[in-house]
Amino acid sequence: MTTAYVLAGIACYIVASLCVAWLSRSGTSATMSQYFLGDRAMGGVVSALSYSATTYSAFMMVGLAGLTYKGGVGALGFEIVYFAGVSLVAVFGPRFWAVGRAHGYITPSEMLGHRYGSRWVAIAAALTSLVFLIPYSAVQLSGVGYLLSGMTDGGISFGAGIMVATALAIVFSYIAGIRSVMWTDSLQALMMITASLLVAVLVVERLGGFAAMFAHITETRPEMLQVPGPGLFSFPTFLGLTLPWFFFSISNPQVSQRLFMPASLVQMRKMLLLFLCFGLVYTVVSVVWGFSALVAFPELERPDLATSSLLASELVPPVLGVIVMVGILAAAVSTIDSILLTLGAIFARDVYANLGGSRQDAHQLRIGKLVIPVICGLAMIFASLELSMIAILSVAASAGLVVVVPSIIGAFFWRRATAAGALASICGGVIFVLWMYLSGNALWGLNAGVLGLPVASVLFVAVSLLTRPQSGPLPEGFLRAR
Amino acid sequence: MLRKSALGLMAVVIVACYAVPFLWIGDTPRWTGSFLFWCLAGVAVIVLNAAAMAGFREDKQ
Repeated sequence: MTTAYVLAGIACYIVASLCVAWLSRSGTSATMSQYFLGDRAMGGVVSALSYSATTYSAFMMVGLAGLTYKGGVGALGFEIVYFAGVSLVAVFGPRFWAVGRAHGYITPSEMLGHRYGSRWVAIAAALTSLVFLIPYSAVQLSGVGYLLSGMTDGGISFGAGIMVATALAIVFSYIAGIRSVMWTDSLQALMMITASLLVAVLVVERLGGFAAMFAHITETRPEMLQVPGPGLFSFPTFLGLTLPWFFFSISNPQVSQRLFMPASLVQMRKMLLLFLCFGLVYTVVSVVWGFSALVAFPELERPDLATSSLLASELVPPVLGVIVMVGILAAAVSTIDSILLTLGAIFARDVYANLGGSRQDAHQLRIGKLVIPVICGLAMIFASLELSMIAILSVAASAGLVVVVPSIIGAFFWRRATAAGALASICGGVIFVLWMYLSGNALWGLNAGVLGLPVASVLFVAVSLLTRPQSGPLPEGFLRAR
Repeated sequence: MLRKSALGLMAVVIVACYAVPFLWIGDTPRWTGSFLFWCLAGVAVIVLNAAAMAGFREDKQ
């Protein structure tokens, strides 16, 4: 595929997205709630498409296809467990939504701080998000870098791809806050699912059809259809990958913050069900891409190149390849801009305001907007380190964020939970996960993905039981059955 | 009742996503093995979520 084709595709994408972002500027965005939450009035369909584009991005089409290419069918299992974990929205969604409305929360860490009656809990949860989501953003940027350089044989460099994605994420965040992000996400998600599905059907047909393609794998690489397969997905590794991702929908603030946004619970239900339908198709398509690449290009230098090799090959018409490539770029950007907005809100609301900064809404909004390019710059530096296995690095971020989960569960289900317990769980969990990654990520044969959550849970329960719960009633709505 | 049953069945599906491929059908070197199982588990997740949220109302607080 020529660089000219790719550049033309990127130019069309930028123009179309900017138009959508500009048109999304309905209403005002003068308060934190309006700018970061769409005034808590988002519809279910746009929310679902945006949730999909935020969750499924460069990781899916580049990372999951690569993971399938390297580790076989276990990659599908990994993603399906994550997919099942989104069901946590059915349990926690109505609770987040109700307390968010009752108390005016902007961020999940603000919610935790209020529930536990401690600004330090909010600060700890906020800093955890900042520390781990910057590498996660970097993963998305790396995905764009790999994709563009792979599809153009280096015509567009890895670094240039990263720069493009960074600039777009900042612009989309700034135009109308969450509204522009959600509407551009929606456009991107629709384009992505249509084009990627077409490519999967086309490629499988050109490889002889679904049955013939899998028969070929059964004959030449049978271990790729088996569990644990060629070695990557041993049970401990599978557990370590899936456990943090299972809790993704409540541990990652850029998605759990979305639970504050729907206009009603009916819209939330619509959001979740549409997202799940989208996600299943997208997951299977990504895995089929990985298997297709395995049949078509069995000797790739790096598994991360599976998707770009497929799109750049004769199996895919150039125009369709460019459309999907632009869709993947767009999806990566949509993930990053959502993270930027969330981290901007978290910094202003939970770090800056709690450490003596202004509590005025307008001032916090200014701080939130100011910090967005700083965070994006940090992610860009991380991405330029060019680490090879995108999926593994992405999971490192999830392993870190999952330490907040015991405090979230305790907030809604355990009256006896204390601020000290939440603080010990979050801080101790983060220190443990960082120590694991700095010391080879193996303890008793298990990695941080498996051990991070139990460590945080034990700390949460033990310290809560050893300390006195806050006096007086809890903030309204937290322990109400739903 | 429907919500609780759906969430209970969801837990069963999630445990099955680990147990069935690793303990039972993992040796099958065909798409009708773990690949098909995990795809069907995905469909079950959608159906069970629809059931779990069937009671959500427009103005529920």
